[in-house]
Amino acid sequence: MENGLSVKGLRKSFGDRAVLNGVDFSVGAGELVVLLGANGSGKSTALRCVVGLAEADEGVVSVAGRELRGLTGAELARARRAAAMVFQQIHLVRRRNVIDNVCAGGLAGLPLSRSLTPALFPKDLRERAMACLDRVGLADRAKDRAGSLSGGQQQRVAIARALCQGAKVLLADEPVSALDPAAATQVMELLRELARNDGLAVAAVLHQPDLARRHADRVLGLLHGEIRFSTRGSDLSDVDIDALYAPDRAVAV
Amino acid sequence: MSTRKYLTAAVVIAVLGVAHVFAWETTEVSPGALVDGWRGMARFLAEALPPDLDWDAVVRPGLEACLTTLAIGLLGTTLSVPAALLFAVLGTRGRHQVVYQVSRSVMSFLRAVPDVVFALIFVTAVGLGPFAGVLALICHNVGVLGKLWSEAMDEVDPGPTDALRVSGAREPQVIANAVLPAVVPALIGLLLYRFDVNVRSSLVLGLVGAGGVGFLINQSIQLFEFDQMATYILMVLVLVVAVDLLSAGIRRRLT
Ligand SMILES: Nc1ncnc2c1ncn2[C@@H]1O[C@H](COP(=O)(O)OP(=O)(O)O)[C@@H](O)[C@H]1O
Ligand SMILES: [Mg+2]
Repeated sequence: MENGLSVKGLRKSFGDRAVLNGVDFSVGAGELVVLLGANGSGKSTALRCVVGLAEADEGVVSVAGRELRGLTGAELARARRAAAMVFQQIHLVRRRNVIDNVCAGGLAGLPLSRSLTPALFPKDLRERAMACLDRVGLADRAKDRAGSLSGGQQQRVAIARALCQGAKVLLADEPVSALDPAAATQVMELLRELARNDGLAVAAVLHQPDLARRHADRVLGLLHGEIRFSTRGSDLSDVDIDALYAPDRAVAV
Repeated sequence: MSTRKYLTAAVVIAVLGVAHVFAWETTEVSPGALVDGWRGMARFLAEALPPDLDWDAVVRPGLEACLTTLAIGLLGTTLSVPAALLFAVLGTRGRHQVVYQVSRSVMSFLRAVPDVVFALIFVTAVGLGPFAGVLALICHNVGVLGKLWSEAMDEVDPGPTDALRVSGAREPQVIANAVLPAVVPALIGLLLYRFDVNVRSSLVLGLVGAGGVGFLINQSIQLFEFDQMATYILMVLVLVVAVDLLSAGIRRRLT
């Protein structure tokens, strides 16, 4: 996993509720992997543990070839920076314009004196942000207020912000769940291009098996905090899908 | 199920009814007294109209007093900002339990004591005059503004904060680029709203001796100069409407 993501034996409990029971998976550079799983199966928790929004109880995570275990402080932060995340709720600062939002992805390297308000952002950061915005096809909207864009456009801005971070690994937690089908397809195509052409390792949580079949190189099924299956996107069968969502029905009865 | 609902409704209505009867008795409501008093009201109005527009004796002092009232409201609001901000931040959810409880309690206490009571206390301390009014407003406003700000901060969506944390931004960078842009417009809006309220409060504080146009109104009533009082009340009306329009206008542009 020279430039990708590798996760081994990831465990996480909230109180006495075990959410992740030893999750193993990897995403190679240039690969788009889709995670499927019922609500509550631990998809978000797994991604949040990778980027440090949640702390795993156990497990080994490597991002872009660097094992995070054993790293601390600034070094851990630098290694983690190679992984970016986009969210279903997009999480842009809606009042700020698009380019300032994209710039915000690249703050980590800056001194405070250049980063406390957009007027201070240095020129090279702005240029880099503009290139990222161009990459997602929204360079012409740079000066618009983020909140005035459509949902699909906002999600692409969030992806541009992740690119501006300089990420090698891109995690997407239900990036298209709030989007209409056309916008969803556009975002998925962008994610796949970023994998194919730009060599990113992309992992996306989805709820639509069809999108997974169409766009994923590989599909992972998560059930009760464990990886239940791993298959090529085009090979994803209805039996696989039922295995993920049916147990809930059985329990519910 | 539905019988129980009806029973609950009946009990609520009965309790409300008893409460109103009790309140009616306690406050000595007496429509008769109001009717009998119409003569007094009419005389009062007749004396108040037309308002006394004598420039040197009434209008100029009135305008000056209006400025004082405005100044009391302004300083009472501005000078309460640092303490309000401190208690607001300490009183947001997710703080250490003790810190949270202490700051919430301080704010509750300051809110519970009306500004008029603070004014009476400060009048005995620093004497009659606008300074007592400023001190009173500061005390009460720290409690109210702190609470409002605290709630506004609690409501901030943690999403953009998460997004920047993942990018490796340090805490001050996260606050400056995710928390503040989301929360500052709300904080300024609440501050303007409090300015509006405080200008009106400072009128009432004037009635108990804290200077400004409220003081003049009180004086004119005690001297039975109802036509002067009418002038002052007209001025107050203009002042209150102007401040309200100003703060509402700015707040509208913020959102
Ligand atoms: N911060 C938290 N505190 C307590 N429980 C949590 C927390 N985050 C997630 N959970 C629980 O962990 C389980 C998995 O959640 P999540 O990873 O969000 O699932 P998914 O994204 O697959 O729907 C759920 O039962 C959820 O209630
Ligand atoms: Mg989730």
